[in-house]
Amino acid sequence: MAITAAITVRNISKTYGAVKALDNVSFQVEKGELFGLIGPDGAGKTSLFRILCTLLLPDNGQAQVEEFDTVSQMSQIRKIVGYMPGRFSLYQDLTVEENLTFFATLFGTTVKDGYESIKAIYSQIERFKDRKAGALSGGMKQKLALSCALVHQPQVLFLDEPTTGVDPVSRKEFWQMLRLLKQRGITILVSTPYLDEVRQCDRVAFLDKGRLMDVGTPEDILERFANVFNPPPVEREDGNTTNEEHVIEVRHLVKAFGHFHAVDDISFFVKKGEIFGFLGANGAGKTTAMHMLTGLNQPTGGEGYVAGFDIRTQHEQIKRHIGYMSQKFSLYDDLTVAENIRLFAGIYGMDSKEISRKTDELLAKLNFSEHKDSIVASLPLGWKQKLAFSVSIFHHPEVVFLDEPTGGVDPATRRQFWELIYDAAQQGITVFVTTHYMDEAEYCDRISIMVDGKIKAIGSPDELKRNYGQPDIDHVFTLLARQATRGDN
Amino acid sequence: MNKFNSFVIKESRHIFRDRRLMLILFGMPVVMMLLFGFAITTDVKNVRVAVVTASSDHLTGRMVERLAVSEYFNIVATVPTPGEAEQLICDQQVDMAVVFGPDFASNGSGIQLIVDASDPNMAQQWSNYATNVLMGAQQGGVSVKMLYNPQMKSAYNFVPAIMGMLLMLICAMMTSISIVKEKEKGTMEVLLVSPVKPIMIIVAKVVPYLMVAFGILAVILLMSRFVLGIPIQGGLTWIILISVIYILLALSLGMLISNVAKTQFVALIMSVMMLLMPIVMLSGMLFPVESMPLPLQWISAVVPTRYYIDAMRKLMIMGVGIGEVMRETAILSGMTLLLLLLSLTKFKNRLE
Amino acid sequence: MIFKYLLQKEFIQIRRNAFLPKLIVVFPIMIMCVMPWVMNMEVKNIKVEVVDNDRSPLSRQLLHRIEASGYFDFQGQPSTYSQALKDIEMNRTDIIIEIPRGFSVDQRNGLQPQILIAANATNGTKGSMGVAYASQIFASQGQGKLQASMPVSTLFLFNKNLNYKVFMIPALMAIVIMLMCGFLPTLNIVGEKEAGTIEQINVTPVSKMDFIMAKLIPYWLIALFIITVCMLISWALYGITCQGNIALVYLLSMLLALFFSSFGLIISNYSDSLQQAVMVMWFFVVILMLMSGLFTPARSMPAWAFATTYVNPMHYFIDAIRTVFVRGGGFSSIAHQLGALAVIASIMAVWAVLSYRKNR
Repeated sequence: MAITAAITVRNISKTYGAVKALDNVSFQVEKGELFGLIGPDGAGKTSLFRILCTLLLPDNGQAQVEEFDTVSQMSQIRKIVGYMPGRFSLYQDLTVEENLTFFATLFGTTVKDGYESIKAIYSQIERFKDRKAGALSGGMKQKLALSCALVHQPQVLFLDEPTTGVDPVSRKEFWQMLRLLKQRGITILVSTPYLDEVRQCDRVAFLDKGRLMDVGTPEDILERFANVFNPPPVEREDGNTTNEEHVIEVRHLVKAFGHFHAVDDISFFVKKGEIFGFLGANGAGKTTAMHMLTGLNQPTGGEGYVAGFDIRTQHEQIKRHIGYMSQKFSLYDDLTVAENIRLFAGIYGMDSKEISRKTDELLAKLNFSEHKDSIVASLPLGWKQKLAFSVSIFHHPEVVFLDEPTGGVDPATRRQFWELIYDAAQQGITVFVTTHYMDEAEYCDRISIMVDGKIKAIGSPDELKRNYGQPDIDHVFTLLARQATRGDN
Repeated sequence: MNKFNSFVIKESRHIFRDRRLMLILFGMPVVMMLLFGFAITTDVKNVRVAVVTASSDHLTGRMVERLAVSEYFNIVATVPTPGEAEQLICDQQVDMAVVFGPDFASNGSGIQLIVDASDPNMAQQWSNYATNVLMGAQQGGVSVKMLYNPQMKSAYNFVPAIMGMLLMLICAMMTSISIVKEKEKGTMEVLLVSPVKPIMIIVAKVVPYLMVAFGILAVILLMSRFVLGIPIQGGLTWIILISVIYILLALSLGMLISNVAKTQFVALIMSVMMLLMPIVMLSGMLFPVESMPLPLQWISAVVPTRYYIDAMRKLMIMGVGIGEVMRETAILSGMTLLLLLLSLTKFKNRLE
Repeated sequence: MIFKYLLQKEFIQIRRNAFLPKLIVVFPIMIMCVMPWVMNMEVKNIKVEVVDNDRSPLSRQLLHRIEASGYFDFQGQPSTYSQALKDIEMNRTDIIIEIPRGFSVDQRNGLQPQILIAANATNGTKGSMGVAYASQIFASQGQGKLQASMPVSTLFLFNKNLNYKVFMIPALMAIVIMLMCGFLPTLNIVGEKEAGTIEQINVTPVSKMDFIMAKLIPYWLIALFIITVCMLISWALYGITCQGNIALVYLLSMLLALFFSSFGLIISNYSDSLQQAVMVMWFFVVILMLMSGLFTPARSMPAWAFATTYVNPMHYFIDAIRTVFVRGGGFSSIAHQLGALAVIASIMAVWAVLSYRKNR
């Protein structure tokens, strides 16, 4: 076979202290291939990306990109690759356009020359080109980062979970663009936790705990490791605990930043014991609305009640009755698991004895007892998220607010996460959750879809599918979100 | 070149967009110059004196009068016994006491000065001044010439010191954060994967601070000339040239810290406590190097600010030619080169 | 008892930081071991050169007297004044004494020959002190009659040996407290802001008061530790001990620590980035320090500048701690400073609580 490999990985190993991040990994990616890198958190995906980008030196083995060696021919590789790291990596205090221009010139090109290749994505944020990157919503930042990685039309593109936190519609557009790039002959290595994205790859490599489990077509891999990637849907014991009491009640709520109405006159209610999915495209105003409900922001107009308290005047009382977990991981990284639990439980007024008893109970339930005294920073992301959730309901609040709790988490962990959510609902805790995973939306009792600061649809998943005549929530969402006229708040 | 420009523009935006930071950067030299120029002095002035006398005879009265009219002393209390005067000093009501014996006028038994010596330098000066005033100072047989600073302004001594400290503070501390910040925020990963050379990243980061430093240098020089009225004696070209070397040195030092430190927090602590403290203390800025014990003098020999301040004092105040500061210039250049090389080699092309 | 848990968290975080515990222990020790030797504004070893144009026994006698005096560091005898001036420019000497030609003859004839003392006055203090010493030497040689008739003796209170370290050790305590209790809290809240954990705290029912107090108290304890270390080293290394009541020293330090940590938190609350916070803090710290009389006599400042010391806590602190530590003053001697310091510190603490916003 005369196929030339774009990327060759041979017996690569990498160890950090006692942790083996990569263990004797070998595979090849052909020129022009759209190659997926999948696996749970801590599988070694990011380390592999960094080695291929010449950012890290492997302990053993060799890797070649376009026949250049990653160790000895670093500068050649750096000329031909594009890289988008896992976490947001733009200059927050520069505007959208300044960021893009900077990265374009960095690679010796201009925004004009590269415009065609980024148009599909950049056109969505272009109207905000004078806004500072730090002021963009999560998904918008991701789009900008992508534009920056693509603007110089690299030969090989490394994308480390590029669509984490991006809404379903934008994700579809993004993958359309990747296919376009593939047609131009660009080799793409991408990692993703989304199954629909995995299916669009030519081939995928499955990494687990630093070892390469298998390489093959997406169908093969997903089937062979179905227990990891396609766990059976979460079964909910039918103990519908919802009653007609409204634990959240919002009427004509508005939040304006200057002339801009981030949240534009929304009204809805959430029943006690319900799991309420709060969906919307990036920048539709979800996070702002949530900040008002949790007492972090003052509303500009309208009224709202959470657990019977007025969000305008009684925000401190509200805080006593809610739990909150944000998209940014929100435990103290430098405290241990037990110390974090103790801190937050203590803040809600539990006494020491009760805390230590319930801590042991909780950790036993999570199968996490041996990590009681581990520093949180050393845990894998999925574990942190589960822990953060458990901490947020530790004091048994009336409502728990979850802001994209499962962003960037692999399917198996997400499933475990939802078991925890169901468990909480079972105990009568109302769950208010935002997510970009449409399969998760199907798990909710009721959902609302926000577009441009307004609630466009609200009801149970079945009702919405019926009303809009669509097979699943994904299609309903796409239908509604495509009507958006603005991209960001 | 285009790449380089856009890099510099980006770095400048980071700095110039932060209004509060700019205000501090330029407010600091102005305030410090004003303070040192007009507020802070070691002159003997407003010394609070208590007079201790039991009698109120003519001679005592004349002596007290002499003290009272002098520009240095204010008589704030008259007490009968030295013990009470000591209590006053202890309570910080007065700084010194003049004790006249009960039989002062008749016997000429002498005067005793009781001085609060918690500040030994000032105590000595107060005692000298008071002795001179009481005796009706005569300096027969001696003529005195105060070279370079005939009005004895403290500012003459301080201006070069302020230059040395501020330029170091701004250049080293600000740059020390700049690289660590990119590491912490993750933007370094992207920069490294791009085809730019490390030297360019460093140089581009330095340029905006260089401009800020020039601005500050200009502010200081203009203020010292026109607000404080210090004649700048030496050639301006040399002053600027040596300042440029010094600024480069400070920038390289900042870069070095930035390349070594892992977090912004550590970089800041390192530059505030481990860089600025020794510089302020060991450079001869406030405390004369020659009064230090020998081992500390050796340490101070590697503090670059010392040479810069020396050179500036000579050039600006004493107005000597470049020949007299050749040594300082050479040392500064050498140090700059060394630090620059060191920070270049410490720059990591890959992640840890 | 929410407060207990918050406080625990702060302590764990400080303890677990890779850098902070070392800094807290090593920094005061280092400062106390090194700085008293450095912070010595005592003027001695003034370098002197003598241009002797007379070369008579009398002039040589003068020369000997200069060489023998403890103040001067005799550098040599250049042949001309201009040569000596060159040496001043090269920093080889600080003072030139020129004895005129025919000095001894004129002296004998009752004329008043003029000795020239030329000092490098770039450093004003050094220049004038040098001149004063030199004049004394000549005065005692020239006309000692007046002095004999009316002796003036000086009693140096509290510090008989004019030991500069006595002056500087209280100042050093102030500086160390200022740096540790001022900068660390400044970095603290901005750090939580940048890490995003502050948002999590903001949605909990923690009261502002609890949150801020939990941040302040560790720095109080750090201040106590620092002051203890400082006093121990000052006693062990320099034999300088507190003359007054040690409890007062602790009380003063607590108040100063409260002021600086509140001040740091206030700046932190208003800042967006670490860089900004540190620069703002540095700016104020430098001003407070310079205007306090830490190094230079506050009363020598012009009236407008002296007026600022009424709101400068550093000024009250340094005044009071010198009174207690050096002069051995009791509570009544420093009541006024204590009161002022307490008022300023509590205003800042209240401000620190108010400026922290959980809801915007």
